[in-house]
Amino acid sequence: MYRRLLINIYQVRHGFIHTQNTRLPSTKCKERESFAPVIWAPCTARPLGTSSISFNENKESSTSLSEDKEKRPEENEAKEEVNTDGQKSTEMNECTEISNATLASQLETETVDRPEDSKQVEKTKSGKESLLELLGAMKVEVTTVRKIRPSKTPRMSARADQEPMESTHSMFQHATAEGSQQHGTLNPALVAAVSAAASTLPNRHQAESELLKQLRKHEAVPDTQRRADGQNIGHIIADMKVGRRTNGRSNASPTSHIRFDDDGKGYTQDRGITGELDAVRRRRSPFTSKRLNIFTAGMEQDTLSDLGPTLWDIDLANQIVQATNQTPRNGFEEMIQWTKDGKLWQYPINNEAGLEEEASVPFHEHVFLEKHLDESFPRQGPVRHFMELVITGLAKNHQLTVQQKKEHIDWFRDYFRQKDDVLKEAEA
Amino acid sequence: MDQSQLAMVVPRRYLLSEPPSAPVMASSCSQALRHHVCKSSRILRIHLQKSYRSFALNSAADQQPAVSSPEEIVIPKKKTWSKEAVLQALASAVKRDPTASDSRFQDDPYLTPKTSSEFKLFSLSQESGRNAAKYFINTYPKYFQKDYAQPHIPCLMPETLEAQIEEASEAALIERIRMRKVKAAVDLYDQLLQAGTSVSLDVTNQLLDLICFCGDHDPAQENVPEQRNEETEDVQDEPQAKKGRAPKASGLLKATWKENNNAERIFALLSEPNTHSYSALIRGMVKYGAYSKAFSTYTDLLNNRLKADVQTFNALIIAAPEVKEKYNEKWELIVDLLKQMAEQKVKPNLLTLNAVLKALRRCGTLGKSQAFPVISEMKALSIDPSLASYNHLLTIFYKTGATIQGQTDILQEVMNEVSGKSFTAQDPDDAQFFITAMRICLDTKDMEQAYRVHELLGVGENWRLLGNDFQQNIYYARFFSLLCMMENIDVMLKWYRDLVPSVYYPSSNIMRDLLQALDTDNRLDLIPQIWKDIKQLGHANRQNLVEELLILMAREKHNQEVQESFAECALDIKKIYDTGDRGKVLLSWTAGSLSDLISVLLAAHRRQDAWEMLKLFKTHNRVPSEELLNRFLTCVKEAGEVNQAVELVQISAGFCLPETPKLIQRVQQEFELTEQQRNMLSDLEIQTFNSD
Repeated sequence: MYRRLLINIYQVRHGFIHTQNTRLPSTKCKERESFAPVIWAPCTARPLGTSSISFNENKESSTSLSEDKEKRPEENEAKEEVNTDGQKSTEMNECTEISNATLASQLETETVDRPEDSKQVEKTKSGKESLLELLGAMKVEVTTVRKIRPSKTPRMSARADQEPMESTHSMFQHATAEGSQQHGTLNPALVAAVSAAASTLPNRHQAESELLKQLRKHEAVPDTQRRADGQNIGHIIADMKVGRRTNGRSNASPTSHIRFDDDGKGYTQDRGITGELDAVRRRRSPFTSKRLNIFTAGMEQDTLSDLGPTLWDIDLANQIVQATNQTPRNGFEEMIQWTKDGKLWQYPINNEAGLEEEASVPFHEHVFLEKHLDESFPRQGPVRHFMELVITGLAKNHQLTVQQKKEHIDWFRDYFRQKDDVLKEAEA
Repeated sequence: MDQSQLAMVVPRRYLLSEPPSAPVMASSCSQALRHHVCKSSRILRIHLQKSYRSFALNSAADQQPAVSSPEEIVIPKKKTWSKEAVLQALASAVKRDPTASDSRFQDDPYLTPKTSSEFKLFSLSQESGRNAAKYFINTYPKYFQKDYAQPHIPCLMPETLEAQIEEASEAALIERIRMRKVKAAVDLYDQLLQAGTSVSLDVTNQLLDLICFCGDHDPAQENVPEQRNEETEDVQDEPQAKKGRAPKASGLLKATWKENNNAERIFALLSEPNTHSYSALIRGMVKYGAYSKAFSTYTDLLNNRLKADVQTFNALIIAAPEVKEKYNEKWELIVDLLKQMAEQKVKPNLLTLNAVLKALRRCGTLGKSQAFPVISEMKALSIDPSLASYNHLLTIFYKTGATIQGQTDILQEVMNEVSGKSFTAQDPDDAQFFITAMRICLDTKDMEQAYRVHELLGVGENWRLLGNDFQQNIYYARFFSLLCMMENIDVMLKWYRDLVPSVYYPSSNIMRDLLQALDTDNRLDLIPQIWKDIKQLGHANRQNLVEELLILMAREKHNQEVQESFAECALDIKKIYDTGDRGKVLLSWTAGSLSDLISVLLAAHRRQDAWEMLKLFKTHNRVPSEELLNRFLTCVKEAGEVNQAVELVQISAGFCLPETPKLIQRVQQEFELTEQQRNMLSDLEIQTFNSD
């Protein structure tokens, strides 16, 4: 049976591809892909009547196990029929949808369709046993939800694209109990808003499609998730199968309920206790374990008088430096080392590097040195002339600091003072 | 400003199309020009904004008003860059070149090291050259007084190693302490006390620090060059410290704390010792192995109603495992110390954490239960563990030689904690982490964690924490043996090409592992390449490695191309056997290696070379195997060389091999022999028959 199911899926998928090609370049195509085998089973794989039933059986098992556990397998069989009926009705729905899609803007027919669809389901349901009503009611609930919504949303051209697929989509989604509710509820509102916004603009269709494109981008993440689910459908079916086998025809117990993961992970029993323990262990890192509770966190330290680095601190720094690799890896790192040593000109290059003490001395102190010649030198004569030459030279000297220049002049002052008598003799 | 110019300029601002750089009359002064440019640029800006707005309105999708308002341009504040910022940016742009050697050796291609011993030699000689220069400068400072550098470079000038202040004063004492002249300082201190001069407590504490640090010995004279040829690291502010290092390391083992040494004497002389004095004494005692004495000093401290400082506690925690026998007693003592720290409101630091963890390494199973609470405690005090802490943690959980069961998680947890983080060195033990982690990976055969460890090494400045060249070698050797064991050969070779020889010179053992890995993955065709590397790495003289290589080459048949390269490789190996190093024969032929070599040559149809090799059996007194001779004969037959076949039989007979009759038979059957040869063979037959 399992193999048959798989074959069915493959055929269905192929069928789906064809239909997809012939049908809509719809925005929702990708989204639907995940549910394609289920949705299109009745539509494209029509000759495979039995296989579609087997599909239903599986769907049934999942719903029965997850939703209403008290149901008996015998009743499942009965329900299958109901479901196939329901599916036939949806087939019809699909067909109308196709026409809808091609017409794209004929909304009225669509809304007419919808109640019909639900009515059909109800009709088939009314003929069956009362126990089955539970399932039926669920379906009706789903469809009624869908039924109400279109009336709320403003009828725009965008909705024509979205809605028909939305409805069947979400219906089967609920029927197979693997879809997410919020996706169905979120989208029409958004679409409505989009079309409302678009209607305010002159170029309505273009703006709308642009906005929808933007929306689709936001939906890309859940879309991909769902696609992954779709890829896992084989697993899901396989798991369902095993679940049925092991449980046989007995009551679906709560434990078997656990085995079916909604998120497509499927059968989880194999992982067992060890796996769970692993997870627990992983969650609790030893680094977040309890502490010794000796110190209090906000403790303040009595500040000791710091006398700069002691011998011990220097030794520690040395040990660290020695232990680690300090060799430069490239020329630049070597240059960094040299810069730190003070062997290299510092970047950014500054022509006044090393002249820090001169930085505060204004230039005129360097250049105008006449004020130092005042009292102790003669006002005129060869000494004065000589000294003027000296200060001219000093003014142009950029090697000496102002202090050194002063000292230079002072030296001459002393010198001429010592030679005072000689000078006087010479000049008289 | 000139009125006429203003009149000329002002109307211009009404011309919106006027570009800001419109020519202004040459006569306009700079102020007018600036005014004009300012105005017109503002107009231009407003104009641009207007057009932008209208544009924004046109695009219907964007309903929001344009955000930019005519705000003043905020000129960012001037940022002062550190002097290394530019270089750091440049350095970070340079990636390691796997084909180049270490940057230290790039100056001179002749000195590019090819083997690990060359690497060691070259790097050390570079350092020792530097040290020698420094030694001469410091020993003969009078010749190095000329200061060429402008601005002055202090680190190039000779250091003053002689005390400058002669008279007995506190300043002289400080100078001697700074120069780490223990004996001189103690003598001077005694002189000062005898003269009745009081020495301040701070200076006395410094003196105590010095004595305790050096263990009351003068640090061995640092001017001995041969003791200093390890790498010098530049700690500019304290060049003395690095010099005392090498002797200190050796002296540490011998030096012990002597009863009533100068430190204790001077300490006893103090009228009111403070925390610092006690701290110095206790740390000195711990450093020089007087552990119980340290604890009694600590009791003294408590009796004097003083508080200890964090360094004292760190020292005591280090000493704790030494004074107690049992694991739980050790741990209780540590917990007690920690409690006293909390009581005295001393905030622990990272070194406290590491000291506790280090002590826990010696507490047996208690370590495993207490290590994580300790780390949590420190984390609660916002002390982040350094790599040393993780190293201690790993050593606690993975004992060397012990079988590891279910402990793999700890390494994983540690890696989860550290991966992606950049660490700075805070503890001398930080440099142990990588080799410990890699050892554990090797022990547990955990390739995944090994990759994570290696990845961590590449983060930020973490490579510095791998330690010196020796440790790097250990690390990479472990990494490579793990790779050889666990990885497939392609991945292995990728790493090999990346790391060898630019950062790692594999030992001969690693090369053997590599050969085995090649064997496992059936990539023996790479052997000639590997042989080239082996030769370059200087392992060509390793007998067992070469023999292993020959066995692998001879073992299986390969396609013609591979056999050809094998034969080239084999001849290359033969050369190594022949030449030797400086007349000294490095490798000696064994029967196995000879026959392997010959079979490699035969497989490549190099009969002539093989024939030459066969003669070597005789010269080296080795006996060829029967199998080899049979194979040789087959090969000879293919070539149809009758003479050689007969000669082969003669050689075989010369070795008196039991196989000889069979060989003779084969030759007689398979070859077309001349009469002479036939006679010769029958003679040989008779001979062997007789000898039997």
